[in-house]
Amino acid sequence: MAASNEEVRTERGDTLLGRLSELFVFGKSIAPALIVLLGLLVLYFSLATPYFFAYTNFKAIISNIPVIAIMSVGMTFVLLIGGLDISVGSVLGFTAVNVVLFHNAGFNALIIVLLSACIGAFFGAFNGYIVTKVGINPVITTLGTMALARGLASWFSLDFEVLKVGRIFDQKFLNIARIFIPQEQQTIPITLVYVIVLYVLISLILKYTKYGRNVYAVGSNEYAARLAGINTTRIKFMSYVISGIMASLAGVILVAQLSIGRDDAGIGSELQVITAVVLGGVSLSGGKGNLLGVIIAVLILGVIRNGMVHLEEVIGLSYYWREVVKGAILILAISIDSARLMAIKKRQVVRQ
Amino acid sequence: MDPGTEKTAQSRKRERVRLSSATILFIFLLVMVVAFAVLSKDFYSFYNISSMLTNIAFSGIVAGTLTVVMIMGGLDISIGGNIAFTSCLVAYLYNLENAPAIGLIILIGLALGAAIGTFNGFIITRLDLNPIITTLGTMAITRGMGYVLTKARSILILEEVVGFIGRGLILKIPFPLWLFVIVFVALTLIMGKTKYGRKIYSIGANPEAAKLSGINVQKIKFIAYLVSGTAAALSGIILTGQTAVGMPQHANGMELDVITAVLLGGTSLAGGKGSILGTLAGVLILGVLYNGFTMIGFRYVHIRVFQGIILILVVSLYEIREKKKY
Repeated sequence: MAASNEEVRTERGDTLLGRLSELFVFGKSIAPALIVLLGLLVLYFSLATPYFFAYTNFKAIISNIPVIAIMSVGMTFVLLIGGLDISVGSVLGFTAVNVVLFHNAGFNALIIVLLSACIGAFFGAFNGYIVTKVGINPVITTLGTMALARGLASWFSLDFEVLKVGRIFDQKFLNIARIFIPQEQQTIPITLVYVIVLYVLISLILKYTKYGRNVYAVGSNEYAARLAGINTTRIKFMSYVISGIMASLAGVILVAQLSIGRDDAGIGSELQVITAVVLGGVSLSGGKGNLLGVIIAVLILGVIRNGMVHLEEVIGLSYYWREVVKGAILILAISIDSARLMAIKKRQVVRQ
Repeated sequence: MDPGTEKTAQSRKRERVRLSSATILFIFLLVMVVAFAVLSKDFYSFYNISSMLTNIAFSGIVAGTLTVVMIMGGLDISIGGNIAFTSCLVAYLYNLENAPAIGLIILIGLALGAAIGTFNGFIITRLDLNPIITTLGTMAITRGMGYVLTKARSILILEEVVGFIGRGLILKIPFPLWLFVIVFVALTLIMGKTKYGRKIYSIGANPEAAKLSGINVQKIKFIAYLVSGTAAALSGIILTGQTAVGMPQHANGMELDVITAVLLGGTSLAGGKGSILGTLAGVLILGVLYNGFTMIGFRYVHIRVFQGIILILVVSLYEIREKKKY
């Protein structure tokens, strides 16, 4: 069998198709392929539209991605343990409304951030409890939380007079998202710094700490992980908590960017977040993927979103196509995920 | 007592438990109807009952076909988007300069739903993708196409036939209710009496075993998604008739209502379990709850919160009960 194994390998390595199919194997990073895709997209939009390739436009793209990027970190944790969280958009919305209330009550920026994180942690803990302790399917659980959080947000905005406007003018709070480095040239927004720090930190945690390795272990084979003495319930629970916290922090940043907190903030963002994470190579079946792929996927989606606006000016492509494109990319991303899993299965069969 | 009889006694006991499940739901429904009738004077008026039942029929048709998909172990969250796209397309075609005959327009609408169902079915069965994420993608695509088609505007459609489908009366009973009854009787017969029904249950319980026993799993799954898509299109035409507009915001978040109703009826997301009768109870309970709460002065946003709680509570109760059984 060993000989035939060798044959198969050389055969695959030789052809271009074989090399391409190597991309579909987990363990090999999907990042290079995504970078090429990102490069091609930037090239296409630069050539097809006059104003895409401009310094100010790139700054616009960069300042648009932090919300999705931060939520994607939480979603990565949930997908790594083999779960799913579709309540993130609603948690963001509920947080946005509460940020305005907290601010109106006179709390300072740091306390608002902490309280918001608590809101996210609460919803995350709720999801985590129902999923791990009661044993309900994560999709159904988070679908319920999605309705619950969005309903509460709308309820608040009906009952509190201050939310009718929902604006925040306090510069100290707005500085959470509006500091630039250096301030005069407005080159690098502080939100980009948050994203980079968060991604580097979480990547290190996932790769080098015991906790991170446990997350992967639970996702790839929960039963084996439990036998190995890992507290799988706690790891899963924590992933939902992290997802909730990230969603609420993204909510704070969104409010600070827009200086407005409304109950419809973040509607449909769960779709973008799931798309980004799956496109970034994190498997829906758990235990596979890393944040490097995710951040490139977030950039890809940001470039597409921005590029389509430019395309509207040039070829009259209706702005509303972006929803269709979003759905199509999601289906494409899970197709790639599925193809990679099949490639693994085939390899395992060959090895046997 | 030998083990054989013990086993049958146990399974008989289990049978009784399952029977009581639907009964409990209908008793609960009855209690709710009485409570709302006491709490609100207007609840028990002909106009209210008729409008409530029309609403129930509209979401009930989709809930019925979704039950089949869920018993089979799948899920379809693209129904809301499908409804919106269909209503947009029907209204768009009607307002064209040389519009086709209305019968043809309705057929095209239904064909669109069937095409969306085919797309879902093809991707889920042939490419073997996760049905939840796939239909989440289809949801975005279909709703997006609605926006593209109408440029985010509402298109007026004052047409007799479509209006009749949405609001017409036969023997003083709204036409959608007739459709609802037909769909439910048909589904009950198919799921209970035909080999298709048994195949669907066995696919949901254990797809691998179903495949090995010679069932064409892919074909049956495909048909279930196709039927779900077509039913959504039918609901879309009903909604267009009721509101006399086609707009892309139609049925926003409706997938939640429908999934809640199906789960309330005792169908499990894991597949293999559930009944059309249970879904009927679920749809009626949710419909009465919506209407009753509105009549006693709650607003939509409050009901939305209750709905989230109900969904999680009900599924938790079923799960706890299931655990107790073993």
